[in-house]
Amino acid sequence: MSSGNAPHVPSLAVVFAGIHRGLIRLQRIPSLMLPAVLMPVFFVVAFSGSFASIVELEGYETDKAVNWMTAWAVMQGSAFSGMGAGGLAGTDLENGFFDRLRVAPTRPMALIGGLVGYCVCRALIPITAVLIVAFAFLGADMPGGALGIAMVYLSGIGMAVVMSFLVLGIVFTFKTLKSLAIAQIIMFSSMFLSVGQAPIQAIEGWLHHVAAINPITNVIRMCRQGFLGEVTWSITQPGLIALFGMMVGTGIWARIRYKKVDA
Amino acid sequence: MKNNVFPQVVKLSHRSILGMLRQPQSWAPGLFFPLLLAAVYSSQFSRAVTIEGFPFADVSFLDFVLPACVIQGVLFGSTNSASDLAADIENSFMDRLLVSPVSRGSILISRLASAFMYGVAQATILISIFAAFGANIAGGAPTIISIVVIAALLSVSMGSFGIAIALRTGSQEVVQSTFPLIFVAVFVSSAFFPVQLMEGWYGAIARKNPLTWVIDPTRRMTIHGFSWNDLGQSLGIILAIASVGVGLSIRQLRRRLVRAQ
Repeated sequence: MSSGNAPHVPSLAVVFAGIHRGLIRLQRIPSLMLPAVLMPVFFVVAFSGSFASIVELEGYETDKAVNWMTAWAVMQGSAFSGMGAGGLAGTDLENGFFDRLRVAPTRPMALIGGLVGYCVCRALIPITAVLIVAFAFLGADMPGGALGIAMVYLSGIGMAVVMSFLVLGIVFTFKTLKSLAIAQIIMFSSMFLSVGQAPIQAIEGWLHHVAAINPITNVIRMCRQGFLGEVTWSITQPGLIALFGMMVGTGIWARIRYKKVDA
Repeated sequence: MKNNVFPQVVKLSHRSILGMLRQPQSWAPGLFFPLLLAAVYSSQFSRAVTIEGFPFADVSFLDFVLPACVIQGVLFGSTNSASDLAADIENSFMDRLLVSPVSRGSILISRLASAFMYGVAQATILISIFAAFGANIAGGAPTIISIVVIAALLSVSMGSFGIAIALRTGSQEVVQSTFPLIFVAVFVSSAFFPVQLMEGWYGAIARKNPLTWVIDPTRRMTIHGFSWNDLGQSLGIILAIASVGVGLSIRQLRRRLVRAQ
């Protein structure tokens, strides 16, 4: 499909319109947010409770499981929020509205950007909810101070962007909402094969090697550092590089698969 | 025809099982996620067995999580047959069944049979994969058979609650929305970590969770070997849960039949 010779609408306006549309949908169907908020909140409660004694092992660098697990729950919440882009695009593809968007005089990346921006806004809700539960009810510490909190939001937002691009690529490929199940499996697997629940020193066997090269490991470390101590550049830098690399990779993937919608 | 109940049960059960097999998206996650968790946890928490107070000595974490993963897999898919029943109600197939001279009980029994077969298949596949990856099941065949039976009956007992909800609401969406409850029940139990090492209110809830009372004896059999006591405890809890679930299902079926007249 092509928009022909029609003048292009400024991309930024399209991105904001996309975000606005997503947020209106969220306002109309608030139940869409329930899994994205309840699941990570449950994760931080469940993992901090179940694995309360695990921090006795070497490498955890904290005496409270909640300090370790909050970052993991934040990452899960952000990733779940990223699924929202696929949910909205999948619905639009199934009911034909996406075809109308595609013939609009705008750039594909502006349409994709609107969906991703919507997910970034969505991600702020579970991140905040997890932090409130962790600090108010589970006694989490934040020796990293405000900078530590900033790292949590930065990592969470970054992960939401990465997962949005990834899921959009999958939905553009299969053109159905049902493909979200595939996206969920990929998302869960990539998150679990990292240092989400255990430090690299405690992980043995094949998973040790996989977690060591999984870029999500660096993002989780960046997110977690404020809970364990001061925020340092040596932990932040690899996290930022990993996020940037994954954003570029998944962004290209989403853009390439966008073309597949016509196929 | 109403007198010939058994062939009707067989036919309807066959239909239920075929329906489930044709929807891999409904049973595949129940295989994938327990295997993923087992693979990840046995690497991540392999040293957890050295923590002071860990109730099993000289055990691998893979052996420790085996029964929990089997039970988790079965529970995640336990609402499949209920969801299919709700689909029958939504697309009016149930109405056609009710105007036919089919035994009303066979409608319920066939769905429970499908849940049972699902439990048997899921548990057998999971145990085989675990064994292939080096899990050690003490007690051999008696323990393996016990785990399969426990899993299958647990699938029936939890599935019966889903069936009651399906009969009450006639909505697939409502049936599937019960999934988070199962998820919470599995995690707030001794499934992935011993309750002895849990603290505070979380540990207190986990200790009182009936799933813990099913998982713990099943785990003891896996690690120490077959025991009639442990089997009896697991089955006793499951049958108690099943009696409530099946009772509710029968009640909801009767209500639906009254409404249909």
